[in-house]
Amino acid sequence: MFDATGEEQYSPRGKAYLLQVMDQIEDDVELGKEFRRLLFQCSMCGRCEETCASGVDLLKVWHEQRAKAVEMAPEEFEYLEPLKDALANVKNIYGLAEEDRAIYWLDELEDEIPGLENRVYEKGKTAENMIFLGCLMSFRSSQIDVLRSLFKTLEKLEVDYLVMGADENCCGHPLYLMGDEKGTVKLREHNKKVIAAAEAKQVITACPGCLIQLREHHEFENTEALHHTQFFDRLLENPPKYNQTEEFSYHDPCELHRILDIKTEPRSLINKMGIKFREMDLSCCGGGGLLRMTDPNLSDLVIQLRTAKEKVKETTVITACPSCREQLLGQDLETKDIVELLSDSLGGAE
Amino acid sequence: MKIRDIVIGANASMYYKLNFRKIKGVYYPRNTQEVIGAIKHAQSNGFTVTPKGGGSGLSGACTGGNDERVMISSLQMKEIMTVSKDQGFIDVQPGISLDDINEFLTPMGMRFYVAPSSRDIATAAGVLSTDGGGNDTWENGTMRDNTIRVKMVLYDGRLLTIDSKGVKSSDPDLEARLDEIGVTLHDVASSHGTLGFITEMRLLIRPTVEETLIGGLAEFSECNALGKVLTDMIERNSPIRYGEAITIAHKDVREGFDPPLLILEFPEENRSDIKDITDYKPLDATELARMKDIRIKFPKRNPNEGVQFALFEGYGFHGDNLLRLQDSLNEIEALLNDHGMAPFGKYGHGPSKWYLGDNTPTYGLILHSREIRPEGRTGEELLNVVLEIVDKCDELGVTPKPEHKWPFSDEVKKKRLEDIRQVIGEGFNPFLLSPECNDVLGSMV
Repeated sequence: MFDATGEEQYSPRGKAYLLQVMDQIEDDVELGKEFRRLLFQCSMCGRCEETCASGVDLLKVWHEQRAKAVEMAPEEFEYLEPLKDALANVKNIYGLAEEDRAIYWLDELEDEIPGLENRVYEKGKTAENMIFLGCLMSFRSSQIDVLRSLFKTLEKLEVDYLVMGADENCCGHPLYLMGDEKGTVKLREHNKKVIAAAEAKQVITACPGCLIQLREHHEFENTEALHHTQFFDRLLENPPKYNQTEEFSYHDPCELHRILDIKTEPRSLINKMGIKFREMDLSCCGGGGLLRMTDPNLSDLVIQLRTAKEKVKETTVITACPSCREQLLGQDLETKDIVELLSDSLGGAE
Repeated sequence: MKIRDIVIGANASMYYKLNFRKIKGVYYPRNTQEVIGAIKHAQSNGFTVTPKGGGSGLSGACTGGNDERVMISSLQMKEIMTVSKDQGFIDVQPGISLDDINEFLTPMGMRFYVAPSSRDIATAAGVLSTDGGGNDTWENGTMRDNTIRVKMVLYDGRLLTIDSKGVKSSDPDLEARLDEIGVTLHDVASSHGTLGFITEMRLLIRPTVEETLIGGLAEFSECNALGKVLTDMIERNSPIRYGEAITIAHKDVREGFDPPLLILEFPEENRSDIKDITDYKPLDATELARMKDIRIKFPKRNPNEGVQFALFEGYGFHGDNLLRLQDSLNEIEALLNDHGMAPFGKYGHGPSKWYLGDNTPTYGLILHSREIRPEGRTGEELLNVVLEIVDKCDELGVTPKPEHKWPFSDEVKKKRLEDIRQVIGEGFNPFLLSPECNDVLGSMV
């Protein structure tokens, strides 16, 4: 954020400093308002915490401050209300009908992947693995290639799985990012109940944001929450080699490597397929922390800066997060999720 | 007032409570013309000017004190302009971080050899303004040793180019007057933004050195023995690539070690030379990495009860007082104890190098200090302890804050800056040289 804007209020230290001198800010109506807005001009990528010389849990501080800001001046955050309403009413971020969660992608893919409709969870069905798609992957057409590869790979590997489908609620991550812990409770409880009913030993998601919620906040008793790269890396010792004809770079999603500490499995999987790639800087794509909603211009600025700085136009950017994918596609960059490479490698695209 | 006017006060020192109403403008220029424009705005309204880099310094100079002032940040002046591998220099704008310079140089096998721990955010001009260095200063010198020349805009908008020999200016009269009093790069080093705004720097770069290094740990029964070993290393010009001393460590973070101790890394072929100076236990790569990790994490850790803080960031022991290290430390500890400051840790670079106010290069041990924060002290009380420490340092012949610089008690440097300001103007950061400086700082703790 700081690199993109060059002004200190966007740096973690700048924000931390503002907290230190809060007594001089709070009394000033305009300054208070500006500060509250600033709290949401952040991708919550966790880099500040990683580099903090004093080891302060800055992410926790920002979460708390966001909650406080919304509580203190709800009128300034009215633009978040439709999102909250959508999550309360139809349990997804787009305000679309709950039952449509398994409509769009199923329509698109059921001819290509025979029996896919039978994989959608219904009361009474059980499976070892439950696939949790999340809102982006359930509703965005830009994610369909990833879904196609994910399902083809699961089928090819004869994995026992179900997709939560219309019984999936949002994981609660957007509410968590605005400090609304209370709002997440019902969503989490519902998801837990469905996953328990399906007797799933593992819940697998391709979305790091969802995984933060599933792994850290859903408090499963007998179910392990995994990123899809973890699941496939465990499953495959020697996947077929990928027929590489293009140049790759790898953008590691912040929520995956920094917040969830999942660093080795995505790389291990890529390496097992024999893919040569270059690492991109461990920086945010600008798509996290609700930034696309709270300040889309700033979000664009971040990804534009990275695109220019890291010269990725000539490469295909590998990533493992639907939100990063949206950001990359927004810059007309070629991008592939790791599971797309895996699917190709296994011949799933044939 | 906007948030950007407030947040410009962010800095790493304990002086952070600014009167923001006195900040009359915040600028993030991108080039020299924009710098001149910002200074012109200040000058025509009678405001002073405070330059600011990364804000990682600990002197508080970048706050600008309590003057009605314009703050000019260099953070958007971070371009690399030219580089010459053959001639060994790189031209940069002032706001580039030292890490960014090396990120650029690494692929060409070159390096800029100044490495303060804050090098990810410390700017090139900021480090020159404090004459900073890192734990390799013994080998590579301070920032001034690695700077070839700077370009600077003065309060009246005139431009200067300053190198180790003298000054060049488009104003021949100004050039003659500054040459008459012998102004060189030494004067810009550690000037804490009191002369002008640096707009361009030519820095010395060298090929990356590949050598096989080995690690060692020397342990001592008391600190005078440690001081003697460091003195010997300095006298023999020992090729120490990494030398970090720990003289005190709180029991909660000691991890089984018993200070005083000296962690060393040096070329394999100098094994016997070092053995000749001190007995040490060899450390393999893993053990050395662990020791370095213990050292680097010191400032990030806390005792089981209480919180550590840096009341006075560093002491420079050199010459005779290095041989009396234990005795000097005892006196400093007694002073701190009298004020309720329990020791948490003392650790730092040795052998190391810094410059005194009269530009004499000095070699010794730069010891950082952390205490356990006492409850309920006012800013004024804390600053009074700091001032007592400065007096104690003077009494002991210890350089106060040699690394992050303590300009406020260095009468030689202050006098020199005042003389130069008589010629070039006094609009930059005047609070540092004013008699009220201590009161101003006290109000900001």
